[in-house]
Amino acid sequence: MIHFDHVSKRFEDGQYGLKQINLQIEEGAMAFITGHSGAGKSTLMRLIALLDRPTRGQLIVDGRNMAKLPNREIPFHRRKVGMIFQDHRLLNDRSVYENVALPLQVIGASPRDSGKRVRAALDKVGLLKKEKSLPASLSGGEQQRVGIARALVTRPPILLADEPTGNLDPELSREIMDLFLAFNQIGVTTLIASHDLALINQLNRPVIKLHEGSIARV
Amino acid sequence: MFEQHKRAIRIALGDLFQRPLASLMTVLVLAIALALPATLLALLNLGEQLTSEWSHERTVTMFLKADVDAEAALLLSATIEEIEGVDSTELRTSADALAEFRLYSGFGDALDALDENPLPNHILIHPSEISDNDAIGELVSHLATLPESDLVEYDQAWVERLNSFTETARRFADALALALAIAVVMIIGNTIRLEIATRHSEIEITRLVGGTDGFIRRPFLYTGMLYGFSGALLGWLLVSLLLLFLKSPLHDLEILYATSLPLNPFDLQRLAILLPAGTLLGMAGAVLTVGRHLATIQPE
Repeated sequence: MIHFDHVSKRFEDGQYGLKQINLQIEEGAMAFITGHSGAGKSTLMRLIALLDRPTRGQLIVDGRNMAKLPNREIPFHRRKVGMIFQDHRLLNDRSVYENVALPLQVIGASPRDSGKRVRAALDKVGLLKKEKSLPASLSGGEQQRVGIARALVTRPPILLADEPTGNLDPELSREIMDLFLAFNQIGVTTLIASHDLALINQLNRPVIKLHEGSIARV
Repeated sequence: MFEQHKRAIRIALGDLFQRPLASLMTVLVLAIALALPATLLALLNLGEQLTSEWSHERTVTMFLKADVDAEAALLLSATIEEIEGVDSTELRTSADALAEFRLYSGFGDALDALDENPLPNHILIHPSEISDNDAIGELVSHLATLPESDLVEYDQAWVERLNSFTETARRFADALALALAIAVVMIIGNTIRLEIATRHSEIEITRLVGGTDGFIRRPFLYTGMLYGFSGALLGWLLVSLLLLFLKSPLHDLEILYATSLPLNPFDLQRLAILLPAGTLLGMAGAVLTVGRHLATIQPE
């Protein structure tokens, strides 16, 4: 599903974000990426979502070469990749419902279809009763779950989560991870960047450790 | 696709009504910018209608010396009709002239005080259609040499002066319309630029979830068109009120010049031009701004 072949990412200031990465993530797999901040976790995810392009090497996602995908195809690629951020990236002036509905509007779903799918997604993350709330009125864990509902409402084949439990206490973190496990169960290829080693070790999944832009250990 | 347009229009309307006072101010500025050239053009059309009406009345008037009696005048009139370039002639005797003057001038009572008719016999000479101004000029100088002639007058000169004045005014109006059209595009462009800035994070997140440029651009294009449309609608209303305000002095002019000035303040044809023009200018302003600013907003 995701295939890195000698991928390097060099930034404009000459620093390397990633060096010669070789990595294969099969369809339906779930893996963690760890490492210190600045080790390249975010860069790796940004390449998969085409927020950045690799400088060298080949990155194939869902059968398509990320280096060669024309700019106008980028939005359609991103629709296949659900993204979750540490800072949630919610629209604070829109209700929970509207936040989750945005990816459906982007693909032109009808309001009726949207309604069903938004409520199904909110139900899965346990926030059905909060659909009219504004994100600011929710707790950190709840906001993160809104972000997860938004990432998954269009049922993308790939899910990327960048430090999804960064600001949460251990109990809430475990709940969030359980959600990811559940989605992975139904076939979503899941990649989670995290430095919460205690939690990761409980889950018994492949862990990719990055160090200064290279893979230190798999 | 239809859903996305509905969504875009809903967002554009929402933006317009979210800060109603600021939006109203913008629409008012647009309305004034559109109303100014529209009013000028309406008045110019009126002026041109008037001059074109007058330029058809190409009449040479020959006033006869006082010692030429009606019989001799009639004979002369028939002679002049034979001259090349003359279509027809009309004899107005001093009695006709007196009656006409009494009717239109309002000095009837003063005339009664006079012992004799002070007005001369005169002949109205209508040049044939093909005669140009030079030919008429020659005719005028020829008529002036006739012994019966006291004064020969040709009214065309001042119609031409008026024509060149309206031509100048029209050019001015065209230039003004162009300048204000550019102003409308820039005002709307600037409004959209602010709109884009306030929706920065929404644009970013929309890109993250796979929104195309078209999807992101569309609400702003509708915002531009809505501003243009509303500005044009209000502008039309302003023009209409201004013309309504001018109607009564224009009516006095109509009476004075014994002509009709077909002024229709709430002209729907004007609306049918202003609305699409305003909407297109609004869209142009939006397209120019959106093209420059949206690309710079990319997700972090």
